[in-house]
Amino acid sequence: MENFELLLRGFSVSLTPINIGAAFLGAILGLIVGAMPGIGSLAGVALLLPLTYKFNPTTAIIMLGALYYSNMYGGSFSAILLNIPGDSPAVMTALDGYPMAKKKKRPGQALFTANTASCIGGTIGIIILTFAGPALANIGLKFGPSEMTAILLIAMTSISWLVGENPIKGIVITAFGILLASMGMDTLSGAPRYDFGNMYLLGGIPFTPFVIGTVGFSQVISLINERNNKTEKIDAKLSIKGSLLSRRELKRLLFPSIRSGLLGTFVGVLPGAGATTGSFMGYAVQKRFKSEEELGTGAVEGIAACEAANNAAAAGAFAPLLALGIPGSGTGAVLLGGLMLWGLSPGPLLFQNEPDFAWGLISSLFLSNLLTLAVAIAIIPFLTKILSVPTKYMIPIITVVCVVGSYSTTYSMYGVLVMLLSGIFGYFLQKNDYPTAPMLLSFVLAPLLESNMRKAFIISGGSLNIFFTRPITLVLMLVFFAMILIPLVRSIINKTKKGKVA
Amino acid sequence: MKSKIFALMAGVLTLSVFFTGCQSGGGNGAAKEYKPASNVDWYVASSPGGGSDIFSRIISDIMITEGIVDANFIVTNKTDGGGEVVRNEVAHMKGNKADNTLLTFNSGCLMPMVENTKNRASNFRVIAVMAVDKQLLFKTEHTKYADFAEAIEAAKNGETVVIGGSKGDDVATYEALVKEIGVSQDNMKYITYDATSDAITAGLGGHVDFVMSKPAAASEYVEANSLIPVLALSKERYTGNLADAPTLSEVGEYNDVEVPVWRSVVAPASMSDEAVAFWTEAFRKVSETERWQNEYIDKYKLIPDFMDAASATDYITEFEKNFKESKGIQ
Repeated sequence: MENFELLLRGFSVSLTPINIGAAFLGAILGLIVGAMPGIGSLAGVALLLPLTYKFNPTTAIIMLGALYYSNMYGGSFSAILLNIPGDSPAVMTALDGYPMAKKKKRPGQALFTANTASCIGGTIGIIILTFAGPALANIGLKFGPSEMTAILLIAMTSISWLVGENPIKGIVITAFGILLASMGMDTLSGAPRYDFGNMYLLGGIPFTPFVIGTVGFSQVISLINERNNKTEKIDAKLSIKGSLLSRRELKRLLFPSIRSGLLGTFVGVLPGAGATTGSFMGYAVQKRFKSEEELGTGAVEGIAACEAANNAAAAGAFAPLLALGIPGSGTGAVLLGGLMLWGLSPGPLLFQNEPDFAWGLISSLFLSNLLTLAVAIAIIPFLTKILSVPTKYMIPIITVVCVVGSYSTTYSMYGVLVMLLSGIFGYFLQKNDYPTAPMLLSFVLAPLLESNMRKAFIISGGSLNIFFTRPITLVLMLVFFAMILIPLVRSIINKTKKGKVA
Repeated sequence: MKSKIFALMAGVLTLSVFFTGCQSGGGNGAAKEYKPASNVDWYVASSPGGGSDIFSRIISDIMITEGIVDANFIVTNKTDGGGEVVRNEVAHMKGNKADNTLLTFNSGCLMPMVENTKNRASNFRVIAVMAVDKQLLFKTEHTKYADFAEAIEAAKNGETVVIGGSKGDDVATYEALVKEIGVSQDNMKYITYDATSDAITAGLGGHVDFVMSKPAAASEYVEANSLIPVLALSKERYTGNLADAPTLSEVGEYNDVEVPVWRSVVAPASMSDEAVAFWTEAFRKVSETERWQNEYIDKYKLIPDFMDAASATDYITEFEKNFKESKGIQ
């Protein structure tokens, strides 16, 4: 109840004309930044940080908070319309968003689904942040290397739900993702791995150009190859009304959004996890539940599961940032730097010393969430026009977006080169029916798993006991073993039964 | 005749004085002639928002707003190859561009560069060292040792003590610490986190026994009693809320351990002497401004320690030599 009163007090701070204006501006800028592949919230917040120096700290953080938050909405636009994820959390959105927009010719509905799910997931995240933020942040602290190892092992098992019809191809591509992720400097020892004497490879394969290439540029190559075969005209609906979902579709969207909202918030609070892991896990968990259409073919549930999860994770990441001064992501670190530049001391005393600031920010997240939803839905008709552009014009447009997006990640042609090579590789995968999602998931999760597992072994002196003597780790390890053993046992039982029958 | 010879000699002398004067005047003139281009490229080999980024942006802002340099600074973050690519590019930059390019370079940049590449500090013109930072060890409520002396005893008796900290210079400080104490790295272990904030998170969660941090990152937690300073990795104690932490020589029969974490600015090896003189003077002026003191040194709790090009070159060269020796690098 006390938190509710403090939230109301926060609204009295955030609902001033200047702060509403700042949130609105942040929301629009975030949508733009998010929709531009490669820029992402980190660069967006970092670039705009100097512009906010002249504002008072509350107004400045409200604007940046809104920007960070709405960025999660914007990331889905290019993923759905162009199959190019605007940021890494939107990778999974493209899996169903793009087929729904392109094959089913329902781009308006795909965007509407993403926006609504984002709003639901985000609202769940912000409500949890409001009432249980500090407690959640403290729970997050309990997750050390052994606990994170167990969680990541569970997450890795979810790859098996994404491998598709051919498990061998799925395993090969997952292993390839792990191999690629292991390139670059080892974060624990600082030793270079698989750099082949090349200075660029010391930093490993940058994720964003890699994703833009495998998912986006590979599609340019497909378009070039197939443009003469079919001249598909997309009759994109251009009104907001035409983009609305049916009542049945809204029902289909609701449960995955709520589930992913809860899961995403939890993942966002964990140290080093973030919105990308949240989105991957949201989608993978959806695979375990029933969807009306198969995931990957343009299912409402698929878009909703990952969009709700990544927005909730973005909200969840504010809990350790505000309650403990711990940034959960690179963007959080920049926001933290901003707080320090404005003379505020982030950390355990922020809520005590600067309640107006902390609660003003939390209340502004509610405001930004609604403002972003309104703006995002209002621009659907303009965005869907992109799909009416003929293929011969789309090829250079998507190429430019891919090049600019991958360049802006590294500010060098290395990013562009990685994107081009990944594009060719992605096209090869597509042509040979290899699924890309397991590769991307293993690319994200494997370095986290390796780093946490090695830290756990350093602490335990190489003993496996650490995974079975700590209560949270033990429970998570039991879940992990259950997940891998139950299907195996079930299959053995079924085989035995069949044998008996025969 | 004598008078003619005298007149001739006087004439020669006058001319030589005149030409010498011209030469030296020309020299001074050349030094004054260097003016930075309208756009100066300033590279940062790490991501936006980090320590090096803030350092570079604050200095460039002071240079412009205080009228020290009449140019625009284009601060670019290039992180390819963990920053090695841009360090290599800047080191080998030639021509006019070399006079108008700066690179933020810290002890944390030098160590991986020397360990993993053939690039060396001698491939740069060192412009200035601006500040120095040092670390402390902190315990948390979860730490089972009352102080660091107890932890040393435990490690010597075969127990495992775990310290968490960041990369680069923190690792070097840890290595110097265990060497001085005389315990093995198996008994006093170090976990490298991507950032100090991650190490603090691990400490607060009770996943490591001690956290290594610079004063700025730990300050707020010390105030909230979440982190308790137990060892100053410095030759003298800190002041303020860190004053309770003893130095290593106060803990036992050891020498103090101090691995200064310096923040400097370097330029391409082919930057002209005139440009080096201009830039070192510009950085000296920045170091004397109130804004630098208030908005950087005080705020981030650093030690102001300006060194001009000559002394900074000697300092960094010596640091690199010691580091190479400690790692057995040729």
